[in-house]
Amino acid sequence: MDRTTFRRLGLGLALIWLAFCLFPLWWVLVTAFKPPSAVSGGATYIPFVDFQPTWQAFRDAFSGVRGDFAGPIFSSLAVSLVSTALAVFLGAMAAYALVRFEFRIRLLAGLVFGVLSIGGFALLNQGAGLSVPQSLGLVMLIALPVAIWLNGRNLPGPVLGNDDVTFWFVSQRMFPPIVSAFALFLLYAEMNKAGVRLLDSFPGLVAAYTAFGLPFAVWLMRDFFANVPVEVEEAAMVDNIGRMRIFFQIVLPMSKPGLVATSMIVLAFIWNEFLFALLLTSSKWQTLPILMAGQNSSRGDEWWAISVAALISIIPMIAVAIFLGRMMRSGFLAGSIK
Amino acid sequence: MKNLMLATALVPIAGLASAACAPDYSGVTLTVSTQNGPFIASALKTAADSWQEKTCGTVEIVEFPFSELYPKFLTAMSQQTGDFDVIGFIPAWAPDFAPFLSTMPAEMQQGPAWEDIHPVYRERLMSWGGEVKSATMDGDMHMLNYRADLFEDEGNKAAFKEQYGYDLAAPVTWDQYYDIAQFFTASDAVDFGTAEAYRRGGQQFWYFFSHAASYTNNPNTPGAMFFDPETMDAQINNPGWLKALEDYKRGLEFNPPGALNNGSGDVRPLYSGGTVAMNIDWADSGVLGATEGAIAGNVRTAVLPGATEIWNSETESWDSFDSPVASPFLAFGGWQLAVPGDSRNSEAAWSYVAEVTSPEVSGQAIVTANTGVNPYRLSHYENLDNWSAIFTPAEAKSYLTAQRASLDADNVALDLRLPGFFSYTEVLEIELSKAIAGQVEPQEALDAIAAEWNKLTDEFGRDNQLAAYRAAMGLD
Amino acid sequence: MSQTPQPDRVKYAFIFPAFLLVLTITLFPLIYALVVSFQTIRIVPPVPPKFVGFDNYAEILASARFWGSIQVTAVIVFVSVALQYVLGFALALTLHHNVPGASLYRVSFLLPMFLAPVSVALIARMLFHPVLGPVNEFFTLFGLENLPFLTSPSFAIATLITVEIWQWTPFVVLLMLAGLQGLPSEVFEAARVDNISAWRRFRDLTFPMLLPLSVAVVFIRVIEGFKIIDTVFVLTGGGPGTSTETLTLFAYNEGFKKFNIGMTSALSFLFLIVVILFGTLYLAAAQRMIRRYQ
Repeated sequence: MDRTTFRRLGLGLALIWLAFCLFPLWWVLVTAFKPPSAVSGGATYIPFVDFQPTWQAFRDAFSGVRGDFAGPIFSSLAVSLVSTALAVFLGAMAAYALVRFEFRIRLLAGLVFGVLSIGGFALLNQGAGLSVPQSLGLVMLIALPVAIWLNGRNLPGPVLGNDDVTFWFVSQRMFPPIVSAFALFLLYAEMNKAGVRLLDSFPGLVAAYTAFGLPFAVWLMRDFFANVPVEVEEAAMVDNIGRMRIFFQIVLPMSKPGLVATSMIVLAFIWNEFLFALLLTSSKWQTLPILMAGQNSSRGDEWWAISVAALISIIPMIAVAIFLGRMMRSGFLAGSIK
Repeated sequence: MKNLMLATALVPIAGLASAACAPDYSGVTLTVSTQNGPFIASALKTAADSWQEKTCGTVEIVEFPFSELYPKFLTAMSQQTGDFDVIGFIPAWAPDFAPFLSTMPAEMQQGPAWEDIHPVYRERLMSWGGEVKSATMDGDMHMLNYRADLFEDEGNKAAFKEQYGYDLAAPVTWDQYYDIAQFFTASDAVDFGTAEAYRRGGQQFWYFFSHAASYTNNPNTPGAMFFDPETMDAQINNPGWLKALEDYKRGLEFNPPGALNNGSGDVRPLYSGGTVAMNIDWADSGVLGATEGAIAGNVRTAVLPGATEIWNSETESWDSFDSPVASPFLAFGGWQLAVPGDSRNSEAAWSYVAEVTSPEVSGQAIVTANTGVNPYRLSHYENLDNWSAIFTPAEAKSYLTAQRASLDADNVALDLRLPGFFSYTEVLEIELSKAIAGQVEPQEALDAIAAEWNKLTDEFGRDNQLAAYRAAMGLD
Repeated sequence: MSQTPQPDRVKYAFIFPAFLLVLTITLFPLIYALVVSFQTIRIVPPVPPKFVGFDNYAEILASARFWGSIQVTAVIVFVSVALQYVLGFALALTLHHNVPGASLYRVSFLLPMFLAPVSVALIARMLFHPVLGPVNEFFTLFGLENLPFLTSPSFAIATLITVEIWQWTPFVVLLMLAGLQGLPSEVFEAARVDNISAWRRFRDLTFPMLLPLSVAVVFIRVIEGFKIIDTVFVLTGGGPGTSTETLTLFAYNEGFKKFNIGMTSALSFLFLIVVILFGTLYLAAAQRMIRRYQ
């Protein structure tokens, strides 16, 4: 089959998908303007033709009757952008290390860490009655150095490599969030009692969300970095340029499409995260997803209110999508710089 | 923090134009939390405005989705984070929350405002474990809502009488209810006969309970509706409950399509939009119909239908009564306000609670659209003029009389309140949804629920659960 | 993957910030969950915790509800991810070759992914309403009125799969497009000069080169997909009965409604094992495929 046929097929597919993809969004846009009668009578599609549009739903939303929108919008923006930036930054660094260097973790050392940390924590917390933050802190201070020291020794047993380290990162995402959210809440509550305010606070949220986004960043950037030709770096190393500089000034710019894509993914996930936001925030830093969930009110699907809320929560993301989308287009050129 | 308090304290003193703050809570910020607005939250906001003016304190309202309220409050209170000063929650959660709530100050438990609260709400819902732990801010029960235009239409009346042999009026038994539903489903006057909630997670079980109360809440055996009041054995698989389940399932014939996925929120617009002739719902349907629906002027409310035969769990037979016995079910009970024990501003918090539930503020709330506050004070029922803002006189009369009659009824049925409420209702919802979808036989479903309930009771401690159940049913 | 022979200490500088942050945030939850899974802990009613060893695990493994939820989740995930991958890759190719209107597509195709799952679920609930929704109108045109989209188990699962595809295909599109843009163009120029057909170019060049990325993308979609909850919760509540109850919804009800923390932790670990099992099998198969192509 020749190129034109493919292009026609591609165009066809794109158009069908466009319709499928945009119809619900069109529906949301239109429904936000519907008066209740335009909903209870059956499906209506075109304003002014099928029904008379009204601003009532918007008025309700902005009057605060359905909940304050301004606060959550700000919280969501602040927390998401900062956490995404941090996650992608730290994650890219980690991914680079996993692609260009070799890590050797002895399984035994890892197991020792596991046993020390779990056992130590149980002992300190339930046996000696130390508070949670104290036990945790002590355990980390002791178990981690011990494990690292052991790793240097020549222990028997299998050796885990880079792939396994990556798998460890990603496995953090496999654990269903229910208990981790509750446990993290407990940890933060205990820290609160110890005087460090983490609940309903910016640092607490950002720390949790960065940790939340890191697995994506590591996993995805690893593949993008792998596609960056290594000769460029080797040439730079011959010139005795430090690794850090190579990373920041050569590798990162060359993987721009990947960085942009990863950032968008991480941002989308953090922006829409619900469970941790529910437990870790209260009055000051409540984020948008909680507000969204509340639109499912017991008054029955007030479709217009739901639509307005959905629109409000998606507009910042549209802005981000356009901005990053532009970067992606130009990234095509940057990616093949030699 | 101190400087801020000082500064805010100085403001009212400096601004002599403002009235004195009585009692003075300047510098105090209360965090009040409940479900997402506008229901309940808007009432709390209005009361916040008036409280802030009176006392110079500040109120911050935080809202959460209804389904997340329980975990959010429980986790915050059990860890004593001090996040919330006042919480708005439902009585079914009171047994689980009670250990973490502070008791109402003694001054609030007396006086005209206290006496004005209807005894059923006051005695039954506001206390747990012998102490008053919360204040009712809303009265809830299931009602039968119907449309005056359809029921009073001469043509309909004649046709109905011809077909069924008795006058068309608000049904007093469930059999009548289904006759009427059948009639209107077949009729051209309206699309369908009735609307009820059937969806798992859509508060379906309260609708089921409303049916069941009529067949199991026997005046001869008080408190035996859900469990045996002596042994705590589950009663939910007795023949009374079976009849209720069969009825409830039968209603699907007369509901609009997709009823299996209707939650309580879907039932309201169906009635107020004119799609159905009746519905079973809380009082919100009536208010919705009168304010935003297509049936303004035709809203009528009646006490839930009853039955002439009620199951007696002691004699294990059906008791017959000469006239239908109504067992109005106080579904949901009505939103409560409480002050968590870990609140750092408990005095101010209770003062705010007093403001929200005061006769003046609540009297306004019940007639304001979208507050979700339904009557619970004697004064609410007595003042008919108050309602003219939303109801025609005929509507107001029917609305208030029905609610008052339900509360005053001899055989009023109280809602289930037990520690571990969700564990009991989860299996109920699952088996119930299976039964009405036709995946299992009704008796099988009920037996499964009973078995699981007994297991849970044992796991939680039979004696504790028995004591709690007896208290909730008003037996002790 | 390239490696350097010198023992660079700088590699630790690269990886430790990420490693420490993740460890600090996730260590306590892991320990807590593990310890608690061997006890019966309920917050309500406040029963003192009892050590019960593996009883929680045994009870879950014996319950039909657990296996049912695995089945439901697996069906939804595997069908929807397969379709997401095929569709997403095809769309990425289309965008890459600059079909007319590409810049419009680029932004609009991404939008579904940016909506919160709960918003998408609410919108889907509107769309699939059996009486008032547009999807019903669409099917009525074909004579199929008032289909039980959300109330019959098989329809409900199909609806859930459709919603998942709608929301997450953009994820695949985004990443595959970035991958396509990172491919060296000389290879394709050479192939075009040699007059190799478009299909063969795809099969022998594009697909193998993007295979590692494809594996990664599908893997993430599967792992995330296993955690589906909002959509199910809003659309069906897990019903009728438990026929659309997914693993996370099951865990959510146990943990946040019944506050049966011990059982929920055990369930979470079993869930983790299930996902790791699927994940490892998948990765092993994928590695073999990669090796075959390279």
